[in-house]
Amino acid sequence: MMSVMRRKFSRRLATYALVLAASVLSTVSVGRAKKPFSPAAPEFRRKGGAGAPLEIVEFSDFQCPACRYAEAPLRQIFSVYDGKIRFVFKHYPLPPRVHAWAKVSALAAECAGRQGKFWEFHDRLYDKQTEWSNEKAEIFFASYARDLKLDVPAWDACRTGPDAAAAIASDMEDGNNAWVASTPTFFINGRRFVGGKQLAELGTLFMDRELKHQ
Amino acid sequence: MKQRALLALLARLFVGAVLVYAGASKASAPAEEFALVIGSYDLVPNSIALPMAGLLPWLELLVGWALILGVRTKAASAIAGAMTCVFLLAIASVIIREIPLPNCGCFGEGMHFSPAHAFIIDSLLTFLCWIAYSTDSNLFSLDSWTERGI
Repeated sequence: MMSVMRRKFSRRLATYALVLAASVLSTVSVGRAKKPFSPAAPEFRRKGGAGAPLEIVEFSDFQCPACRYAEAPLRQIFSVYDGKIRFVFKHYPLPPRVHAWAKVSALAAECAGRQGKFWEFHDRLYDKQTEWSNEKAEIFFASYARDLKLDVPAWDACRTGPDAAAAIASDMEDGNNAWVASTPTFFINGRRFVGGKQLAELGTLFMDRELKHQ
Repeated sequence: MKQRALLALLARLFVGAVLVYAGASKASAPAEEFALVIGSYDLVPNSIALPMAGLLPWLELLVGWALILGVRTKAASAIAGAMTCVFLLAIASVIIREIPLPNCGCFGEGMHFSPAHAFIIDSLLTFLCWIAYSTDSNLFSLDSWTERGI
């Protein structure tokens, strides 16, 4: 009788172990191997000193409303943590079926950056997002380029050339390696925060902790 | 009776497979992504969303495998049913409050369902959990192997 009880108990334990092992194995097999992502970006898409203790990498899409909303907490973070942040902007335009003008807006900003006006164009795109997010996007981009006194023919050539497209593709590959699934996604010293709300509420707590430990 | 037992087995396997897929696709991705989805339901504080996003996929996985393998089948069916009921309530609240969720977040990045579709799927799953729970059958289950003890 005791041996049957013992056998039942050990079998029960074995079934629990099997459930646990199957759960771990299925997670591992579904999950792809995580690849490292590079925070590299051209100088014009960087802000702050190289020695700053906090590095924020943002993967963003100019047509994404959540990215526009994240600009307010981000700007507040820049003012509160002034001098302690190095910021890197990475393009992550969502597919055309989601945001039809995300890729062209990324190209427009990238090419403005090659003329030293990335941040001006970046701010303009977010501030006027509702204005240009439609089939008249090209007309608005051209007007922003003129307002910012860009060399428009050179800017146009850049937008259709291979270099800017390659830079955006490279950022997207980095985003995919980092498992970016939605925009904006921020990495603060490598720790992920998705969306402006997480950035403002949890990101700032994390930044305070990071600063305290340095 | 045999047909009912077979139906319960199929229900158990189907719900188990769905939970395993849902759990594995979320557990293998960064928890922050799922936390964002939980946060967008606007039902729990943001501070709870991240731990929930870490735990919930593992609960789905464990319950899903317990159903597939037939380990504590009755309890696993009850827990799965309770989970799908909670999901149903959460999705119903989103639909009623007209929160524009592009994706229910049920399957991580694997599959995207609108809240309306997720409501239909969760209703079906709840019904299948009820079938698995209410049928006393150990067909193809490790429970029967454990209970034999010899």
